[in-house]
Amino acid sequence: MKYFPLIWFGIWRRPLRTTLILLQVAVAFALFGVLQGMKSGMDQVVANVRADVLLVSPSLESQSPLPVAYVDRLRATPGIKAATFFAVLGGTYQKPTQRVAALALESNDVWQTLLPAILLNAVIVLPKDLHALQSTRTGALITAASARKYGWHVGDRIPITSTTLQNNGSGSWVFDIVGIVSSSPQAQVGNGIFINYDYLDQAQALNKGTVAQFVVVVSDPRRAEVMSDRIDRMFANSSSPTDTAPVRVRTQQALQRIGDLNFLIRSIVSAVLVALVFSIATMMMQTVRERTPELAVLKTLGFSDLAVLLLIAAEALIVCTAGALIGLGLATGVFPFAARFLPGLSMPTVVLAYGLVGAVLISLIGVSFSALRATKLQVVDGLANR
Amino acid sequence: MASLVSLHNVIKRYVRGKQIIEVLHQLDLEVPAGQFLALMGPSGSGKTTLLNLIGGLDRPTTGEVIVAGERIDQLSSSQLAKWRARHVGFVFQFYNLMPMLSAERNIELPLLLTSLSSAQRKRNVAAALELVGLTSHAKHKPAELSGGQQQRVAIARALIADPTLLVCDEPTGDLDRASASDILGLIQVLNRQQGKTIVMVTHDQKAADYASRILHVDKGQLVEAQAGAGA
Repeated sequence: MKYFPLIWFGIWRRPLRTTLILLQVAVAFALFGVLQGMKSGMDQVVANVRADVLLVSPSLESQSPLPVAYVDRLRATPGIKAATFFAVLGGTYQKPTQRVAALALESNDVWQTLLPAILLNAVIVLPKDLHALQSTRTGALITAASARKYGWHVGDRIPITSTTLQNNGSGSWVFDIVGIVSSSPQAQVGNGIFINYDYLDQAQALNKGTVAQFVVVVSDPRRAEVMSDRIDRMFANSSSPTDTAPVRVRTQQALQRIGDLNFLIRSIVSAVLVALVFSIATMMMQTVRERTPELAVLKTLGFSDLAVLLLIAAEALIVCTAGALIGLGLATGVFPFAARFLPGLSMPTVVLAYGLVGAVLISLIGVSFSALRATKLQVVDGLANR
Repeated sequence: MASLVSLHNVIKRYVRGKQIIEVLHQLDLEVPAGQFLALMGPSGSGKTTLLNLIGGLDRPTTGEVIVAGERIDQLSSSQLAKWRARHVGFVFQFYNLMPMLSAERNIELPLLLTSLSSAQRKRNVAAALELVGLTSHAKHKPAELSGGQQQRVAIARALIADPTLLVCDEPTGDLDRASASDILGLIQVLNRQQGKTIVMVTHDQKAADYASRILHVDKGQLVEAQAGAGA
């Protein structure tokens, strides 16, 4: 502690340079925090997805809707605990730009847990709301976000215009709002509503008896991949083959579509951190060169080579760690906004820890050359500024 | 009186490019404890080299350097650093103060290497500031002090750890006549009243006159001159 003033004044000997380096370190670590945090956050989102839930979709080759009758075969398959299904009614509300996607759910209480599972925990469905939907044929559950956006209330009748025609040839569908499901404030499910499959299936003119996807819960999450294969084999020779995968895998694939995120993040973070090592090294080389006579005086007064090395290293360490703290703090502040695009995203503590350890390592690597040079400085040469 | 500084057969050579330059040739010197010695000589005569050897800032190529009973030419770099902290105070021509530190922080520097508490360090610094007459300038940074005041701070820093030997390299070389006389008077008081052994390099005969003994360094050899007026 008694050396602190010496270190502190050494740091602020050139205030502008120190401030610029501090900003550079802060920006680098903000980038590190955001990218690394994004990666860890995404991993976390994937890890939070239930491992026992499978999505059975039409195969990529056929793309035809799946027959609802498959559900009986699925429920009868050993290893499957529950199976349900939904269809999708796409449409608009009042204006063509106000799109609404209606998920038509089979009347089944399992949706209370499965709906959050397939929507990445973006919604919470209460049993009373689910029962209200099941007991009202034309009922609809809306999200709090859509209620805010369109000014909808429970009891309102809302018309949805769709290209899916009804038996009477009309494309206008009317639903009675029976409940509002709470959604995460950041979740992007604002335009989604939930309706009854029976109503949609009976009222639509085409594709009767078909569904968009089945949602299956397996008994053993460790056998999710095996069960996916078994389901696809089961329907392989039918007119509507399936493509089954765990929700977790589907989520991972969706995230991978952004690009090879891991490689991208690793490349950017590595480049930034290596550049930072060079910046720190340059700053410390300059500072040691400028202060050669001062360092020689310290040695003259009896400071050992090691003491001089530690003083120089401490300066780099403080600047780098302070910059990293500012940067990581900024990155942490960014995450509530980032979570709007990916619900559940947050800055993991481990990234902050890695960041601080990284800052220490970068400062030590960056300062090593100049600090060693300072220790090798001959007092007589240093006093003569040679 | 016993010698505080003894040099025997000291040779110092420098390598400059492909040239080997012998600066000191088989030099012998005895400086008794409590003496105020002035080393004079033209530029390049080797007087600063000799001072650096005595202060443990440099090592001889051959020969023995014994200061305060220690063969300092045989000490390792870290041992030499510790030895300097304990035994030698340095005063330079250009003061060599830390520009970012206040006068009191500059003076405190050698005490950071001791086990003294913060309160003890403060007391010692206050005493040193009083000794050099700069109590009211304790918080001033070097840039806010005159040359003479800066040299006083440097002297206080050199004395703060109570060294046996004070080594001064042209301490008045950068000062006007009045300030120079002031500083030399202070150095003489330290020698006479506190018994500090002082070795001072100077070009200036008037400065050398404050010393009790004057030696001329000429072409790497010592030539005894007349006793200084301070004898």
